[in-house]
Amino acid sequence: MANLTPFTYRQGQSILHLLDVRCKFFMICLVSMSMLSAHLFACFFYFLILLFFFKKSGLNFFATMTSIKYFILLLFFIFIARALTVKGDILFSFYGMTITEQGLTEGFVVAFKFFLVMLTGLVFSSTTQPSSVKSAVQWFLKPIPFVLEKRVAVMISLALGFMPIIASQAQKISDAQKARCGDLQSNPVKKIIHLVLPLLRKTFLSADSLVLAMESRCYSDDRIDPAFMSSGKEIYFLAGSVVLSLSLVCL
Amino acid sequence: MNNSKQLRMTVYTSLFVAFIAIGAFIAIPVGPVPIVLQNMFVLLAAIILGPTWGLACVAIYLLIGLAGLPVFSGGGAGIGKLFGPTGGYLLGYLPAVFVTASISKGLGKKMSSDIIAMVIGSLIIYAAGVPWLKVVTSMTYEKALAVGMYPFLIGDILKIIAAAFIAKTLRPVIKL
Repeated sequence: MANLTPFTYRQGQSILHLLDVRCKFFMICLVSMSMLSAHLFACFFYFLILLFFFKKSGLNFFATMTSIKYFILLLFFIFIARALTVKGDILFSFYGMTITEQGLTEGFVVAFKFFLVMLTGLVFSSTTQPSSVKSAVQWFLKPIPFVLEKRVAVMISLALGFMPIIASQAQKISDAQKARCGDLQSNPVKKIIHLVLPLLRKTFLSADSLVLAMESRCYSDDRIDPAFMSSGKEIYFLAGSVVLSLSLVCL
Repeated sequence: MNNSKQLRMTVYTSLFVAFIAIGAFIAIPVGPVPIVLQNMFVLLAAIILGPTWGLACVAIYLLIGLAGLPVFSGGGAGIGKLFGPTGGYLLGYLPAVFVTASISKGLGKKMSSDIIAMVIGSLIIYAAGVPWLKVVTSMTYEKALAVGMYPFLIGDILKIIAAAFIAKTLRPVIKL
């Protein structure tokens, strides 16, 4: 988590960086849903659009592909599994296994759709700040009854704040264990306990201090609503995403 | 629940959300396959936070991932990951955490009851994950079990034993 992953936010001034996060949420949901019933031609069309936004957002497509190579391997596995299991016109047959034409086509379509949905999420998370994601979640949860959206938003921001602290504490504890020849320990249960217990104890004690600090500052759920940045081009993007979704379904 | 207790639970739940997210990146080398601690933190959240806050913890974790932040295993995020081949395991965390917490609470939060609760919780995760994997990849059940369950069972047993010890030591420290 402390390392830079392809899904980490990258600073920039592109139109996707400046777009209102709520608009981006709406677009990503709409396009991901319509992708489920899209045909192969429509998928290629959407792939070209994604490549354009990759370029516009300053992301390196080939470097990104290298960093998600394990995911691509998983897609290849899905492709092979479909090719071997879907019945149809037999293309090759070996050792009792058959690859069908329909299997190859269906496998490619399914793997390609997963790839596109993953790329869409990647473009979104690379161009959206975690703090604005939190604000958008709060805004979207507001109309839902029985959901305390402000508390959920606080919990998300606390969790996001805790993550780098826990990652660095885990690294420190692991290094300290190694310095004391802890890595020579052969009992796996002891290995887990020796890493996790000090980590949990340490972070829970600091969480107690945080609770005290929040209480002493009269923390309550009644907080000021977040402000959203707007680029002024949201309406065009929303209209574009509706047209795109309809094209994906109908083409 | 008074304000102070509620605030404490809010912070602890957020802490467990962070632990579940980080758990995907903390690997302990045991033999050829390293043990990843994510599902151990899900089960620990259940037996330490209880049914309501445990469920909230996993729901918020999934919400963060669904919102596009890289908290799923391998740095993944978004609707694609949640509905991808491993999505069943992620969605299975929701019933698993609730059932584990309810059993642990019902049996009196003892070490033996924690172990029983976590074993049932793990089985629920597999019951959701393996059929999902089968449907998405069009594998047979035998293959889905061979790649999505059997290789992880020994690691799961070790994690459950470790989690039971950790919960026993941690409960007096956090005074819930």
